[in-house]
Amino acid sequence: MRVALAEDGALFRQGLVMLLEAAGHEVVAVEPGGDELLRALAGRPVDVAVLDIRMPPEPDGGLVTAERLRASHPDTGLLFLSHYAESHYLVRILEIGTERIGYRLKEKVGSVDVLSDTLTRIAEGEIVIEPVLARRLVEKPRTDRADVVAALSERERDVVRLMAEGRSNAAIAGALYVSGKAVEKHIASIFDKFGLHADASESNRRVLAVLTYLRSQQGERS
Amino acid sequence: MTTADGPTRRRDARREHWARRRRLERRLHDGAAVRISSLALRLGVLDAPREQIEALQEEVAAALDELRAVAAGIYPPLLHEAGLGPALAERARSTGADVALDVTADRAGPAAEGAAYFALVEVLAATPGPLAVSARREGVSLVVVITGADPALAAVLVDEAAPLGGDVRATASRIVGRFPCG
Repeated sequence: MRVALAEDGALFRQGLVMLLEAAGHEVVAVEPGGDELLRALAGRPVDVAVLDIRMPPEPDGGLVTAERLRASHPDTGLLFLSHYAESHYLVRILEIGTERIGYRLKEKVGSVDVLSDTLTRIAEGEIVIEPVLARRLVEKPRTDRADVVAALSERERDVVRLMAEGRSNAAIAGALYVSGKAVEKHIASIFDKFGLHADASESNRRVLAVLTYLRSQQGERS
Repeated sequence: MTTADGPTRRRDARREHWARRRRLERRLHDGAAVRISSLALRLGVLDAPREQIEALQEEVAAALDELRAVAAGIYPPLLHEAGLGPALAERARSTGADVALDVTADRAGPAAEGAAYFALVEVLAATPGPLAVSARREGVSLVVVITGADPALAAVLVDEAAPLGGDVRATASRIVGRFPCG
């Protein structure tokens, strides 16, 4: 896979290049900031661009850079690596794109297998979200508001959490030890409770369900 | 020294206190956090048994978790980067606090935001809920209104607002704190 990288911490940058090369990927650009990366990628598209969130241009250059990259190279996958897993950033990331995109903690991609799996899933169009973040969001339902999430059953909440991690129906069925049919039923019920109807494509509704969930957790109104 | 010098010096010192906390957090992020997280990646390319590498990487991740907790207690990066509303929402979510937030997006500077944030974190921790918190910028001040908390918790806001030259009013149901923006 052809990969480019923007990160302002020199040591982390070196570590990541070592790991990417050990995983057999071709690292075509390594830059200390977002503006440099955009220049480097002008005539050389890559499969996935790996971006630090908190880098130049300050304060959150990774997000600005991603928006520009998405506009100029819509087929390029985007992987955000951050020292922090925050739902605030997750919502901003999903506003940039809901396909070919990922958000993981820096220290959690420290093996050839995990890093390659993350990059491959993104390049194939999936969303990959740090599991601890997806879990944290779903495990603490807010009790002070009669929001959409309160209407979900416990099992439906499990399903939406796994959807937030970017899992396929088959993977959700495997994780919850239920049949694929049962997962489809739960997802249909979630779409219904969230008011997502059949005018959107299946993958779009999945993402909208996750976004609805995350926004309800933040008290944001779209 | 005139009588005006005391409060002015106190306010300047307090502003510098918040600016220093923000710089310290940034230094943790740019220094120790980068070194430690790059270790996780370097371990990943070592030629050693997988279980040994994974055990070491778990230690590295635990160290980073502790570092994040320390940084959050110094000056939460989200408070600096996104403001009081997102920082409070993230905090309420991670602690499960029962609070309805209504915070405008306008910024109030590191001193007023830091002082208001840490006062509110203490009020949230001391209140089983439900609480309502609103915050908005009014002229040169950040005004925080808390509904549903014990009025005695006004003292927590006084501790943070007064050194900046702000003030706090409390009734049986509401606490209103004014935090001057730098």
